[in-house]
Amino acid sequence: MLTYILRRVALALSVILATLVSAFLLFFAGPSDPAQAMCPETRCNAQRLEAITKSLGLDKPLTAQFLDYFKGLFAGRDFLYAGDTVHCSAPCLGFSFVTRRSVNEELFTRFPNTVVLALMAAVVFVTLGVTLGIFAATRRGTPTDRAVVGASQVLGSIPYYVLALLVALYPVILWGVLPQYSSLSSGVGPYFIGMLAPALILGLVTSASYVRYTRNSMIETLSMDYIRTARSKGISERTVLFKHGFRAAMSPIATILGLDIAALLVGTLITEQIFGVDGIGRRGLAALRSQDLPVIMGTVLIGAVVVVIMNLLVDIAYSFIDPRVRLS
Amino acid sequence: MPEPSATLTEVSEEKASTTAPAHKEVRTGRSPGQVAWARLKQDKVAIVCSVIILFFILVALFAPLLTSLQSVDPITGTKASVSDVHTELVDFNGLPKVGTSSAHWLGVEPRLGRDLFARWAYGARPSLIIGFVAAAASTLIGVTLGLVAGYLGGIADKIISWVIDFFLSLPILLLVLAIVPIMQKSLAAGGDLTAAQVSQIRFWVLIVILFVFGWMGLARLVRGEVKSLREREFVQAARAIGVPTRAILFREILPNLVGPIIVSASIAVPAYITYEATLSYLGAGLVEPTASWGRTIADAQNLFATYPLWLWPSVIGLSLLVLALSLLGDSIRDAFDPTSRR
Repeated sequence: MLTYILRRVALALSVILATLVSAFLLFFAGPSDPAQAMCPETRCNAQRLEAITKSLGLDKPLTAQFLDYFKGLFAGRDFLYAGDTVHCSAPCLGFSFVTRRSVNEELFTRFPNTVVLALMAAVVFVTLGVTLGIFAATRRGTPTDRAVVGASQVLGSIPYYVLALLVALYPVILWGVLPQYSSLSSGVGPYFIGMLAPALILGLVTSASYVRYTRNSMIETLSMDYIRTARSKGISERTVLFKHGFRAAMSPIATILGLDIAALLVGTLITEQIFGVDGIGRRGLAALRSQDLPVIMGTVLIGAVVVVIMNLLVDIAYSFIDPRVRLS
Repeated sequence: MPEPSATLTEVSEEKASTTAPAHKEVRTGRSPGQVAWARLKQDKVAIVCSVIILFFILVALFAPLLTSLQSVDPITGTKASVSDVHTELVDFNGLPKVGTSSAHWLGVEPRLGRDLFARWAYGARPSLIIGFVAAAASTLIGVTLGLVAGYLGGIADKIISWVIDFFLSLPILLLVLAIVPIMQKSLAAGGDLTAAQVSQIRFWVLIVILFVFGWMGLARLVRGEVKSLREREFVQAARAIGVPTRAILFREILPNLVGPIIVSASIAVPAYITYEATLSYLGAGLVEPTASWGRTIADAQNLFATYPLWLWPSVIGLSLLVLALSLLGDSIRDAFDPTSRR
């Protein structure tokens, strides 16, 4: 067991390291030119460009830049900023080229918004998906079942961003039925109400696949012999469904859920952009537009770390549930 | 893939090669592919979806012809075309002065005055090309790497599995958004390119990036299947009598994977089309002057309330095409799955 976990942890670390190196090479060694982007167009001259390049630390050789970045991540580093030395402690992601603020601050203050959105959506898709899945499974083959499965198929097949965009444009902006997003500083109530529209549409679309997972898992479980035994003992249908069937049917769903929440934490980018939620994905997009390399790096790294850790946790949890996977 | 039936097919194929084809029996002669095809032909959803897909393929193929069916515009004195800008058709606010007419079936585009029907019909082209080309390429890569990893095992398997894990844990959307402009810059560096040339480069960059980041799921699936198939008796037997590796891979193992590969490819097409449209919406997809539904939706959202005719044709076209392709993919999966009885 321990060797299995150690092997998985080593694999996870190697993946994170590879992400770090390849993202660094891609952004810092690639043809992007942040100094040019920051240089005011009308008054840009060679001297000024050089000064900006130097102030961003982009004049140093690439290996030195990478070592600085790497050291900052694990030991923290000092920045020379407007004559003062600013210390940036342990997981130091550097300073934004554009806003001049610490990337850690920029991203970690926004991360809670993304987490809230992802969790609210998770509540929606788990309740809706599981309920409808069980509902369809118990009515297998009936028109109700076909309607639920058909609706979930259609919903899951339309491009997500188009659906989200239409919800944002019509009920939220044009008709004002659903409230718009407002930041936490304007109050807890409006904040959560404003999250409703994005969380609902994200949850609704994600629930489509959960309806199908739950339905299939439930149908498989309900065809087991022990369910027939339970029924023949005269146990009420409700108890059979929920105590015997539901519990067994949920374990594969729980695994998928872990991975999906990880995917949501890095994948709410589209939702955030469309509904104007001030999360980490939206910040990453803004950074892409302004070629703000440290912020892009930070977003990519945080995303990779979240996915890798969730994968690791799910794998380890699963190896406890199903010992066969350890042997492979 | 049903394991017993796969073995049966192998056996029946070997028999067929030794005995005369005239002795074929009705019940044993069908491969899983033929069974699936027969089931698919019975599926009403699949048929409706195929008709819709065919419709869009025809629209894309005959876009110039369809555009030329519109009559001559009385103001400009010419027939509408996909790229002609007619600022005389819009007022000083950028809103169109002409509505839907026989010259412009869907009206004209705000600001630039281009014909919206032509933009819509031509817009089907990049979606379909990107969807099918990227799906074909990623299927090829996924199958090849999956075969190599699953059959060779050892160090090759370790490396490929690690690469799969690595790619799967990347925040792909963000990375793709970042890579598209970087790749385009390094390709288009030097030399003054016209907007059309840049747009063309961007188109191919998108296809490459989509399949480079899209092969992992299939590779993992094929690897798992091949790993279990290579231990099976018919493969062992083939190895024992000295069949070359190449023939084992292509004649013995690959035919058993036709089902999962077709299913995965058919699900990949709508996924790539959606991805391209999403990238276009987020600003890293196709660029002007290429007509693209994703691009149009992104542009039209600002005027969605005052000029819905700009937004809706592309929304409906994209949604309907992706919906039909996805549902057809679902039907194909069900047709290959012997346990599904819908």
